[in-house]
Order: sequence, then structure tokens, then C-alpha cells
Amino acid sequence: MARILSLVALFAVWQFAALESSPRYLPAPGAVFAAIAQEAQSGALFSNLAMTLWRVAAAFVLAMTLGTALGIAMGRKPLFDKIADPWLVILLNVPALVIIVLAYIWAGLTEAAAIGAVALNKLPNTAATVREGARAMDAGLDEMARVYRIAPMARLRHIVLPQLAPYIAAATRSGLSLVWKIVLVVELLGRSNGVGFEINTAFQLFDVKLLLAYTIPFVAIMLAVETFLVQPFERSVSRWRPRAA
Amino acid sequence: MNAPFPDGAPARLDVAIAEKIYPGAEASRGARRAIANLHFSLAAGEVGALVGPSGCGKTTLLRLIAGLDRDYAGTITLPAHGRLGMVFQEPRLLPWRSVEENVRIAAPQARDEDIAALFDTLGLAAHRGDFPGALSLGLARRVAIARALAVEPDLLLLDEPFVSLDGALAQRLLQEIATLVEARRVTTLIVTHDLDEAIGLADRIFLLSGAPARLAHEISIATPRSAMTQEAARALREEARAAMAS
Repeated sequence: MARILSLVALFAVWQFAALESSPRYLPAPGAVFAAIAQEAQSGALFSNLAMTLWRVAAAFVLAMTLGTALGIAMGRKPLFDKIADPWLVILLNVPALVIIVLAYIWAGLTEAAAIGAVALNKLPNTAATVREGARAMDAGLDEMARVYRIAPMARLRHIVLPQLAPYIAAATRSGLSLVWKIVLVVELLGRSNGVGFEINTAFQLFDVKLLLAYTIPFVAIMLAVETFLVQPFERSVSRWRPRAA
Repeated sequence: MNAPFPDGAPARLDVAIAEKIYPGAEASRGARRAIANLHFSLAAGEVGALVGPSGCGKTTLLRLIAGLDRDYAGTITLPAHGRLGMVFQEPRLLPWRSVEENVRIAAPQARDEDIAALFDTLGLAAHRGDFPGALSLGLARRVAIARALAVEPDLLLLDEPFVSLDGALAQRLLQEIATLVEARRVTTLIVTHDLDEAIGLADRIFLLSGAPARLAHEISIATPRSAMTQEAARALREEARAAMAS
């Protein structure tokens, strides 16, 4: 209830601010929703949203898979950790924009370069988070698995991943918001469709209404993903934990 | 005994450790000999008990036998096939898997009826679907024992399986393990600091003296456990105490 009231208050402030300023700088909520409806009717909204969501999903899956594998390896093998750590630190500190521009220069203005650049921005973050989890793994369970000669895939599924789940969930949560923000930059710089591309167009035309018409549905979708996919995933991986009464 | 398996490999456990050293923090200082010149063997189906004071290297020895630590001088020959069941001091269950899944993950080839029978014997039938976090320590130990037996081990290793259980519960669990081990004729090695536990379970008792662990005395129990009288048990205790004292 408090959340809904808070949202209503946000719209009220927006409406009030819009009345006080020029619609060129801040259009009223009604005008923005009309623009959303218009973009939806033409189909442009959905095709651009779909393109952006596909890039978010592809980059996210790529970064999470490779980052998790790297994080496990680094957390488990001290020698590998020593070798790979400086690379990770450098990658963590290279600005996202530099990685994107370099990817476009080296691989051309392609879909692969766009997705690869986003994944590369998220990957070190995932690896560093999962590495913490891999370091904190229970050595006793590891020995148990060795004594019982549990097969590698079964070990991964039943012993390693459940222990890493809270770390992977944390990386997922922070990762998703990072990835979708970077995807917009990638689209703005080098793609000819997607929400980021439309925002660039709106910028060129100085069209704040169009800019917000793309931003609001996209934020709503990402919030829905967070609420209906990420949070249930977090709950399901911690289902075994005894709850305090 | 010593019946060879069809493929000719011996069915016995042979342990011959010349030395096990824990390196210290610095190369020359602080290195500690945990085990020195320790030899013993167990025939197929025999139950052996390693008894010694706390910290004398019993658990270290068990870890060498389990293959968890290969940094030692000597040889350890496991019974044929070398399939191990091990009950650690802590139950070491997967908290995110149910009791039944915990057993099945370690023993994927076990048949449903075998697992059901084990659960019945160990009083776990009502807890199959519980998560380990909901179990008492006594029940969790039982799950660990069920897991160790479900793999149909060639060698069962028990590391202080009764520690921190109250007397009556420990006694009941000891009876259950004795029954299961006898019925299945599993070669078993139990580590304990409690002489009575050893007498209640073992065919042969290996008394260790501590730091570094070496074999001080060996007792063979000829009487079947079911026929063991109070006096016989007392005599064994006396023998062991005398050996430890000398």
C-alpha cells in the first residue's frame, strides 16, 4: 500500500513539475502515455523492446555462464587465482565505454560485438562474486563427495551450485540492472534498433516525450523480471534453510 | 577368511604406514610426526576398532585410509574394488537435499527396496523427505550411516560415530550398527576413544599410543558379541588398560 501511494506521489510531482515547465523539457504524464500508445500501435515499441531484451538476455546469459565458471575455477585453484586475478582487476576497472568502443572498432558494428562488449563488462563482476562463494565452500562436503566418488556433474549440481546459489543470485540481481543499462549505451553507439537507438533518436530530435515513452515501458519490464523471475529464483534456492518461527 | 574376490584382488585391508608428518609453518620448525610405524590388517568381514586418546592421530589415520590425504610414507591396500562408506564425525549431509536424496546422491545405483530397508532399520522411514536442518544430531548421524551402507561398501569407516550423543542413544545406535555390519559382513574400521564402544562392536581392537600414533597393543575378541558376558567385557577392559599403562 505504501509503495502504491509512493508511486502515486511520484506521478503527482511529475504532473506538477510538468505544469510549471515547458512540455519541450518535461511533458506531462498523460502526453507521455499517449506517446507510448502511439509507439505501441505502430509496432515500433514492441520490436525495439524485443531487440533490446534479446540483447540483455544474450549478454546476461553469456556473462553469467562464463563468469560463474571463471569464479569457481579461481575460488578453487589458488594458482589459477594468482594468475587470473590481475586480469580480473584490470577488466573490472576498464570503463564500460572503452570496452564498447574497442569492441566496435575491432569487430565492427555487429550484433556479436555489441553483445560481447556488454557481456565483457558484466563478466568480471560475476567472476569476483562467485569466487567469494567458491572460497567459502564447505571442505567437509567436498571430502564426502571424494569418498563417495560422486560423479563430476552430480557434484556440480548437488554440491557446488547449491552452495554458490546465494552468490549467483546476488550476481544475477546486480548483473541484470548493470547489463540493461550498458545495453542501451551499446545500442546508442552502434546499433540501428532497440531502446537505446530510439533514445538516441529522441536526443537528436530533442524529443523528451519519445525518450520517456521508451524508458518507462522498459523499466517496467525490468522491474517485472526482477519481481517475477529473480526473486522467486532466490526464494527457491534458499527453500531448504530452516526458517525462524 | 581372506577369500579372494573373483578377479583375484584380496578382500582385506592392509595398512602399513612408515610415517606421516604434518609440515610446520616453517620448513624446519614445527613439523609434527602424526603416525610412525603403524601396521595392521583386517580380513574380509572383520570389524576393527582403533582406540586411543584424543588427538593421538586416529582421525588422521582414517583420512589416509579414505584417500583424503595421500601425503605419507607407506602403503595402504583397500579391499577389492575399494568402494568406501564413511561416517565422518559430523554428519556432512547436504542441507539443501532431503534425507532420501542425500543417500541417493552418494549411492545412485542403490535399489529402492534396499534404501527402504536401511531407513526402516535406522528409524528414518518417517524422515525421508525432511531436510537435514530439521533433524536432531542423532537422526542426522543415522542418515550418514544409511548413506555409508547404501553404497554397499567394501570398507566401512566410522569416525567417532557416537560422539556427542547421549548415553542411551549412543548405545542404541551402536546396537543398530553392530546388527547391520554383522548382517552384511562389511569390513569395518571404527575410530573411537571409548573402549566400551570398541568392545561392543569390534572383532579386533588396535590400541594406539599417542603422538606419534603407533600400535601399542592388539586384542582379538574370539567370543561372538551376542555371547559376551559382563565378566568377559571387564576382562578385555582390564587387558586394554594394562596395555595402555605399560
